[in-house]
Amino acid sequence: MTTAGVLDRDLKAAEYLQSLRSMTDELERAMQAIARNALPEFEDSIDNQQVLSARLATLADDLCAPLEAETAIARAMIDEDMMHQIRSANETLQRLNQSYAALLQHSSRSVALMASLFSSFQGQFQEASGPRLKQQTWSCQM
Amino acid sequence: MGGLNTSLLVGIQALEATQGALDATSNNIANANTSGYTREVAQFSENAQTVSGSDVSGGGVTLDGLQSVRNELLNLQIQQQTSLQSSADAQSSTLQQIQSYFTTTSGADIASTLSAFSTSLTQLSADPTNSSVQQGVISAGQDLANSFNSTASGLTSAQSNADGQVTQAVSQINSLTAQIAQLNGQLSQSTTTANDGGTIEDQRDELVQQLSALTGVSVTQTDDGETITTGNGTPLVMGGQSFALHTTTGSDGMQQVLDSNGNNITTSILGGTLGGAIEVRDQTIPNMLTQLNTLASQFATSFNSAQAQGFDSSGNVGQNFFTVPASSADAASGISVAITDTTAIAISSDGTVGSNGNIANLSAALTNALPSGQTPAAAYSSLVFEVGNTASNASAQSTAIGLNLKQLTNQQGSVSTVDTNEEATNLLRFQTAYEAAARIISTIQQLSTVTLNMGTSGGY
Repeated sequence: MTTAGVLDRDLKAAEYLQSLRSMTDELERAMQAIARNALPEFEDSIDNQQVLSARLATLADDLCAPLEAETAIARAMIDEDMMHQIRSANETLQRLNQSYAALLQHSSRSVALMASLFSSFQGQFQEASGPRLKQQTWSCQM
Repeated sequence: MGGLNTSLLVGIQALEATQGALDATSNNIANANTSGYTREVAQFSENAQTVSGSDVSGGGVTLDGLQSVRNELLNLQIQQQTSLQSSADAQSSTLQQIQSYFTTTSGADIASTLSAFSTSLTQLSADPTNSSVQQGVISAGQDLANSFNSTASGLTSAQSNADGQVTQAVSQINSLTAQIAQLNGQLSQSTTTANDGGTIEDQRDELVQQLSALTGVSVTQTDDGETITTGNGTPLVMGGQSFALHTTTGSDGMQQVLDSNGNNITTSILGGTLGGAIEVRDQTIPNMLTQLNTLASQFATSFNSAQAQGFDSSGNVGQNFFTVPASSADAASGISVAITDTTAIAISSDGTVGSNGNIANLSAALTNALPSGQTPAAAYSSLVFEVGNTASNASAQSTAIGLNLKQLTNQQGSVSTVDTNEEATNLLRFQTAYEAAARIISTIQQLSTVTLNMGTSGGY
């Protein structure tokens, strides 16, 4: 393996680590945005996630592709500290991704239910007449 | 044209109406931080016109009353999510407790003691006549048996704790349903008056919310107030009457939940602390115990068979090294080392002193596949993975539902100012964003495998 190759690999590994951490930050931001119903922020985070996931996939391909030199030597030259940090960042990201997936599942259900109500109701309806009449649902206030 | 009196009357009515609206606003502001408070709005109606000859004049405005702005759909969603979260929390806390028994830092977990037992056999192979090395094998075997015992004991203890939660939750449910029934009675009386009853409804909503955290419920509005049932339809509240649940000790020693007619409804209870505690007590933990017992039983049988293939120091066929209870359901809690004398270890394969021919068979019992298809270490690893994965899932669910609840609560907070057109557009945008997010989740999951392989094979 050439010195330039090692340097390039180390730079890519560092960028990979940074991207994993950035992705973690973005998932946290997206989850908080969902909780606050902050749609523009959520969409902005999704855009960033898309850019990051594309970059992570490219970097992962590059880092896993065999280099021109002997694999054994390449392995011996791995920066263990960097690999440790990458694995740790990956674990954190995977844990968060699990929560993110569950949140999307629950939230999607709520949103789908409300969307179907929007398409079903066109006017007001009231549960009871008289002084205690109640506006039943927020979607029914149209 | 109306006269001065008419104008004054219209003016006074307008002032009264405005005062009512201001009162409602003041009350809303005063209760801005009151948990469960529902915003009230003044309801106006136009009075009949006054006709005097050819003159027609407006009749002013009348304050009909104050109306609570409620969102039953969001309330329902919040109740359901609260119930799910409490269930996930109950499971998560128990599973966190269980996890600690499977991965200790003191080296007392089964994986560590299994490894130590294997090491002791390797040492015995190198020095088969050394009595202290032989004693080391027996001690390592005892440590391994103790690990099985303490892990099983930990699981049983967690099961007992979950059982305790069942009794506690049923008591809290009964207290809440009695209070809700009482409020239903008050509300049905308030319909005959000009009162809005909003405050009572707020109190009732708050109690129903608390009830949802304890168990999954279905709420139906009726003329008598709210009818509340469990998920399977067992009535808890009907108008002004509540139906208490009871507990009784079942044949397995665990608390069973009975409805007001004495029917056992334990298996049909879902959601909430009660549902979560029942699920972890009756399904999650028993499943783990079964796997642990199977491992203990099969491992002991396998090792004892290896013992029987060799001969002890006196030239006798090797006797059982481990004792396991006859019932495999108690294998992990009851496993122990049967021998105390170092000469009883079946080291020799031919009965001659100094032979270590049978140690290979003893060691193979630790590395060969058990009837379950896995080696003891692999079977234990699978169990540890399952425990960790189940705990992690419950924790992730709890986090996610908590955030979803926050989202719903925020939505509920903005219910009065919602622009429906904008909301409809936003819902579609949310759905589009979710689809994009789902693809990213999948990409991140795939990255995990790639990252784990980095630096081990084919890459860096």
